[in-house]
Amino acid sequence: MIKLMKAAKTPGTGRANRRLDGLVYRIRTGKWIWAIAKYAILVLLAYQLLYPVLYMISASIKSPVDSYDPSVIWIPKHLSATGFTDAYKTMKYMDALTRSLMIGLGCAILDVMSCALAGYGFARYKFPLRPFFFACVILTLIVPTQTIILPYYMNMRYFDPLGIMTLLSKVTGKGNVINLIGNNAAFFIPSALGAGIRSGLYIYIFKQFFEGMSAALEESAYVDGSGPLRTFAYIMLPNAKNAIITVFLFSFVWHFNDYYLSKQLLGTNKRTLIVALSSLRVDLAAVIGGQTTTDPIRIQTRIQAGCLLTILPMFLLYIVTQRKLADSIEHIGIK
Amino acid sequence: MRKKIPYYQKKKIYGFLFITPWLLGFLLFFVVPFVQSCLYAFQDLTATPEGMAGEWIGSYNFSYALFRDTDFLIQCANSLKDLVTVPLILVYSICFALLLKKEYVGRTTMRAIAFLPVIIGSGVLMDILKTDVFSSGVKGAETVYLFSGGGLTGLFTAMGLSADMIGFINTIISKIFDLTWRSGVQILLFLAGLHNIPSYVYEAAEIEGANALEQFFKITLPMLTPMLLLNVVYSVIDIFSDFGNTIIQMIYNMAFTNVRFGYSSALSILYFIMIAVVLVIVYLILKRFIVHPEE
Repeated sequence: MIKLMKAAKTPGTGRANRRLDGLVYRIRTGKWIWAIAKYAILVLLAYQLLYPVLYMISASIKSPVDSYDPSVIWIPKHLSATGFTDAYKTMKYMDALTRSLMIGLGCAILDVMSCALAGYGFARYKFPLRPFFFACVILTLIVPTQTIILPYYMNMRYFDPLGIMTLLSKVTGKGNVINLIGNNAAFFIPSALGAGIRSGLYIYIFKQFFEGMSAALEESAYVDGSGPLRTFAYIMLPNAKNAIITVFLFSFVWHFNDYYLSKQLLGTNKRTLIVALSSLRVDLAAVIGGQTTTDPIRIQTRIQAGCLLTILPMFLLYIVTQRKLADSIEHIGIK
Repeated sequence: MRKKIPYYQKKKIYGFLFITPWLLGFLLFFVVPFVQSCLYAFQDLTATPEGMAGEWIGSYNFSYALFRDTDFLIQCANSLKDLVTVPLILVYSICFALLLKKEYVGRTTMRAIAFLPVIIGSGVLMDILKTDVFSSGVKGAETVYLFSGGGLTGLFTAMGLSADMIGFINTIISKIFDLTWRSGVQILLFLAGLHNIPSYVYEAAEIEGANALEQFFKITLPMLTPMLLLNVVYSVIDIFSDFGNTIIQMIYNMAFTNVRFGYSSALSILYFIMIAVVLVIVYLILKRFIVHPEE
């Protein structure tokens, strides 16, 4: 033991020596190779993940002249903003953006509330048929939207849940159905009832999260005379910050990026950003007129600009909040 | 005086109370449309101003899809082929998650980049990128992905590779995009799983003299198996319900372009059955490997 301590003490009396020791240690054990390899891998990964974004930026600010210039690869010599202005106009950007944000934010908030309730119910209460109901939650995840889209659309078009509207119409004398197509409520109502886009996953996340929390908190709350709803609202929810942020982010992103339901439920005139982007190629030809349709490079510039405009709001939001978001997702503690 | 309900009885009632909103949504927006869709599949439907009107034609739609419409089964086979990417996605995302776990300079930035596909990788965007970035549209069918300017094909030609080989390499490169841009959520879930493994397990292993490789295969991987199952299920569903998936497009066109609503419903139900079968098989295979750490 003494020998070992001596051996540890002898080298590296000064600061420079100690540094040298570290270096020698690294070289001897080959750790520096690992470090270099690791960063090389990371740079490669980062490059291939960022490539599409860089490509979008480069392609959208290029003026057509540069596309034929072989010396231009990444940085264009002639900048042009017409790609953006054209895409902005064709997509009816502000209108589409407002709608996308409204649907995204609204559904995210509603999803957090409904799914937290359901998840908590599944995690903490033993009631009859619970495994069956939870299997149903998973089932909603597995069935693709496309399987139920037709009747789903018809239900929204002639919205009459459980005959309530028929009942109301007998009282008020108005029409017995409402048309929810083209109305943001066609997204809000399912989300409020935990049946929005991928709600099953959010319920699963909340269930796993609440199961991981200590039961002692609730027991002490119960002993102190607080009822289940009160316990949930004042004790469990404030502690579920990580799960709430995660579900909020997922719901927001997936509603914002949704194409299939948005296209069906909003009708042709009310478009979200993603729907507008999907038909940009067709719309561009119609709006700008003859001279651009023959030029694929111009079309491409505008489409890349459209892509960039579409991801821009999410991207900005992400840059500002990414540390917090990533931290809470990482440490959500679900099994 | 009111009779007091015992605590356990109360808990049952409150349990139901908590899931009531979901139950309502489940009935209204899932059970009802699903049953209706099943009914549609047995009818020849036309859209009328009052809703769908149809006549019963039995299982004709199904038999047509399975025995006469050659396209559907071929597309199904193609979709099943896409499942090959699932193991690749899993391996890639486990590796990436491991790279992101430990502290080092630049970790936060790297993590932000890794999660980027989750934020902006919608099906529509990926589809546009694929058509534009990969075929470059203008200069012919050479891939420009990762190697701007289309210099890669020229390089390979100079090296004396045959056109088939170059095509093969290009396909692989374009698959990298598919692979990495589909793995955002999986990386995220694996990372959450990694942080969930208590550090004392590793400390104990280190004292016992386990090296890094042993630690990975005997601790990390088994502890990640519940997450692995979730990720497999998620990846399978993600691939099957993707915007660019040909069956999805076929079902959509059948309903909204060809106006064959009944047939479209039949196709979608067959498709769902296929997904369900795949998931059950996957579950039965993986079930044996799943470790439940708390037990």
